[in-house]
Amino acid sequence: MENFALNLENVEKYFPAGASGWRAFVYPVSQLTVPALRGISIDVKKGETLAVVGANGAGKSTLLRILTTLLIPTRGHAQVCGFDVSKDPAKVRLQIGYHTGGDACFYSRLSARENLMLFAGLNNLSARDASQRIAELTEPFHLGDLLERQVRTLSTGNIHRLGLARAMMHRPSVLILDEPTRSLDPLAAADFRRFLLREIVGAHGTTLIFASHTLAEVEQLARRIAVLDGGQLLACDTLDGIKTNTGAETLEKSLEILTRHATREIK
Amino acid sequence: MNDSPKFVLTIRKLALMFRRDFTVARSYRFAFLIEMFQALFGSASFYFLSRFVQSPTLQKSLPPGTTYFSFALVGIAFFDYLSVALSTFDSSLQEARQNGTLENLLVTQTSLPVILAGSSIYPFAWMSLHTAIYLGWGAILFGFPLQGANWLGALIVLAASVLAFSGLGILSAGYLLIFKRGNPVNWVILGLSSVVGGMMYPISVLPKWLQYVARLTPVTYSLEGMRAAILNHATLRELLPSIAGLLLFAAILLPVSFGIFSWALRRAKITGTLTHF
Repeated sequence: MENFALNLENVEKYFPAGASGWRAFVYPVSQLTVPALRGISIDVKKGETLAVVGANGAGKSTLLRILTTLLIPTRGHAQVCGFDVSKDPAKVRLQIGYHTGGDACFYSRLSARENLMLFAGLNNLSARDASQRIAELTEPFHLGDLLERQVRTLSTGNIHRLGLARAMMHRPSVLILDEPTRSLDPLAAADFRRFLLREIVGAHGTTLIFASHTLAEVEQLARRIAVLDGGQLLACDTLDGIKTNTGAETLEKSLEILTRHATREIK
Repeated sequence: MNDSPKFVLTIRKLALMFRRDFTVARSYRFAFLIEMFQALFGSASFYFLSRFVQSPTLQKSLPPGTTYFSFALVGIAFFDYLSVALSTFDSSLQEARQNGTLENLLVTQTSLPVILAGSSIYPFAWMSLHTAIYLGWGAILFGFPLQGANWLGALIVLAASVLAFSGLGILSAGYLLIFKRGNPVNWVILGLSSVVGGMMYPISVLPKWLQYVARLTPVTYSLEGMRAAILNHATLRELLPSIAGLLLFAAILLPVSFGIFSWALRRAKITGTLTHF
């Protein structure tokens, strides 16, 4: 258990069915009937990189939100570095850094430095530690020219780098990224991937969990790949393992085979 | 990592959030100037209205030595604290949802109640400045009596009012967490308080049964205390009933509203609607 950054055991998540009209008033106390995750069990070792892939609505973001304590699982146990997400959410948050692919996640009229100082303070870093950490991250994250500029003047690519720096400020053991290159153009996305590989996966030994629709990104970054479909875990293996088990030559083909097989089984 | 006690860390976080809101507000430089003149227009319109309102019943109902203008100006200036308390918690929640920062705030080592409390400091500070400008214009141009007021007493009444009103504000944020929009908590409390709270007229002009209802709203005690401290120069001892009334409201409302808010927060994490708007 000590070697695991992540330990999921039969995690299930159900949401209430969408409601309109008068039913909307009882929505908050409605029964949880719509499955989003069904019996997910995954272990991730410290320092490992896991990609979570699947179609829209497969449950990727739900899974990541459970790990970040933004959602409470309906059943099962999810632990981050040995801390249960439902019982010890504050300790879990101490272990994680989180960044989503959206570019509206900062106070746009504050400078990049002011944003980093604010979030560092909310993560219990003293002003001195935060300034020192910003200085450490400035070079590898190419923040030098950005720090004193208001965030609203930054490009999407720079905002993503800043988001990643924010997630790394308190030296988390596990970095969780939800579609990190979603709003980047292909060149910026490739640049961001190289940056992730060099600065996060290669340099810090941080466990990286990320959801993505971009298979090139998955192949380039992930050591293991978890394939989700309809809230079920279809496979969790290395790229070669998945290709061998499905008899396919590419990851794309493997995903096609896995999901088609799963759909047939459900029918 | 910072090893300071939790209390010190929380104060630091509150200060950081105040600084954030102050910096954002400062970046809109023209707003302050507009606020100055808005207060002037508000103050002037009440002065001229008070010259027009000359009812013997009203004059008899006013505390001795008080003009209707000063009575109404204190009512208007301090009633706005209730509006701020009711709107600040849910508007900071709504704003964080809309600008996409809520998720990032919630994955930090700071709980949502502290985030909301931190986000309410600047609006209350701004409200205090707004009130000072209001009263300042009233004193400079229209003879509002500032001399002899018990400012310490007024400050204590104000602090007790903020505590009591915040209970209602947190209740309102709890509603917003669950239902997203159209907050009837605000609407009912503000509507009821503006009718029975004694903002524009003394509650003694209300029918007897409405006077009983007035006693069930914290704003009544707040405005009574404020007027007594500022206009009638009441001593701390004389202000005690108003302060005690407000603290009683705070003692009941704060734990109840925190309980409801915690339930709403947990429910939003279960239904997955925490960041929906």
